[in-house]
Amino acid sequence: MASIQRTSPMDIAVSGMRAQSRRMRVISTNIANVSTSKGPDGEAYRRKLVELASDPTGQVRIEQIATDTATPFRRVFEPSNPDAAEDGYVEMPNVDLPVELINLTEASRSYQANAAVMKRYIEMVDLTTELLK
Amino acid sequence: MTKQANMIDLLSAGIRGASVRQKVIAGNIANAETPGFKRRVVEFEKALAKAMDRGDGLDGPVETKVQALAEGRTDATGNNVDLEVEIGELVQNGANYKAYMRILNNVYKQMETAMTVQ
Repeated sequence: MASIQRTSPMDIAVSGMRAQSRRMRVISTNIANVSTSKGPDGEAYRRKLVELASDPTGQVRIEQIATDTATPFRRVFEPSNPDAAEDGYVEMPNVDLPVELINLTEASRSYQANAAVMKRYIEMVDLTTELLK
Repeated sequence: MTKQANMIDLLSAGIRGASVRQKVIAGNIANAETPGFKRRVVEFEKALAKAMDRGDGLDGPVETKVQALAEGRTDATGNNVDLEVEIGELVQNGANYKAYMRILNNVYKQMETAMTVQ
């Protein structure tokens, strides 16, 4: 049976690094699409979120890439925009740059923390190996 | 008495497996951006354990299997190499290799001690 006792700290750290790098990729998509008024479905781009879940093994896994439908679109007055409605307003993505940048910092810090765990663990293993000298 | 696999044979099987694995991981990392590339893994521990269970010693090298894995998340080109996973394996494999080497060194040192007893 897969349990946390049987999982190497190495695998747990790797799962964390994978999850955070995936998160970073999604955040960069959000930032790149901050002004995309026309997505593939004709609507403005909706920000994406990574949903993480914990495994019985202690590893983290990516549950799904969710779409933020709760936050409303930003409305910008831009009558000359071909995507503008009758009243001259254009629906812009529900991406908030400061929020994305905070999440980006958090993702990269978490990645660093997982890498630090990996490094420390291997230092511990190395220490044990030194006893064999 | 059944023939027991000697320590040096076991260690050399481990060292051989770990060095093949090192090369395979390096190949995976090198191909992280190759369209359609599937990551490869090395399997030798099971064969080694089986050979040890038979208890008739290791006759010849332990089978080292290299196989491409199709599972896992793939990118748009079908490549399923994840840099984080490969680095984790690389570090773990390096630690194993070092441990085998140290133990082998100890076995040789023991022999040397036995030979120099006056």
